[in-house]
Amino acid sequence: MNLKSVSECEDRRIQKFINFKLPNYFKKIGWAGFILSFIILFSTKLLDGDFSVMVEILKRLLLVFLLIVVMSKEKEEDEMIKSIRAQAFSFAFVGAVAYTLLQPFVNLTVSLIAKTEKAIFKDLGDFQILWFMMIVYLVVFMKLKKRA
Amino acid sequence: MKNTLKVERAINSLTQEQLAKKIGVSRQTINSIETNRYVPSTLLALKLSKIFNKPVNDFFTLEEGE
Repeated sequence: MNLKSVSECEDRRIQKFINFKLPNYFKKIGWAGFILSFIILFSTKLLDGDFSVMVEILKRLLLVFLLIVVMSKEKEEDEMIKSIRAQAFSFAFVGAVAYTLLQPFVNLTVSLIAKTEKAIFKDLGDFQILWFMMIVYLVVFMKLKKRA
Repeated sequence: MKNTLKVERAINSLTQEQLAKKIGVSRQTINSIETNRYVPSTLLALKLSKIFNKPVNDFFTLEEGE
């Protein structure tokens, strides 16, 4: 196998990975799982007891179900949907980077103005960033799709 | 870029749904192209050209300054 064919093979693999989408029915599974996990997560706040391990698992489940929704095909997946998807992904990516960089400063400023005791500079957690990115993606995607 | 897709569709007595099926896209995509909200790919433009039996330039034209 020469260098050119190795490179072509890699290109094909990358392309296959980029174009990978779950079938449309996964969208319903994703939303159902997301809502269920959200309700359970919310219930843990209302109940007494130590649910810290459960909360961590539920948070990850929320992200997994959101990812399933994001990765699912539309009923009619054509080139316009692909274009809208690319726009939404790029918006969500830039938005998440800006959010990650700026939000800690916003939090610190608000804490200083409100004069709370714990006015410290703290970076955002992975859950917060991933959650923000996927929610922004879904909102922008739906908005662009509706406008098209 | 403007287009006369709606006119061409009327000449060929095709609904948006029928045209969409012929070229393998959604009705929403045809509507977006007709209202200049979406610029189709070369592949889609060539498919339309085949359906209308006309060159792409006949129904897609550049606007001034483009």
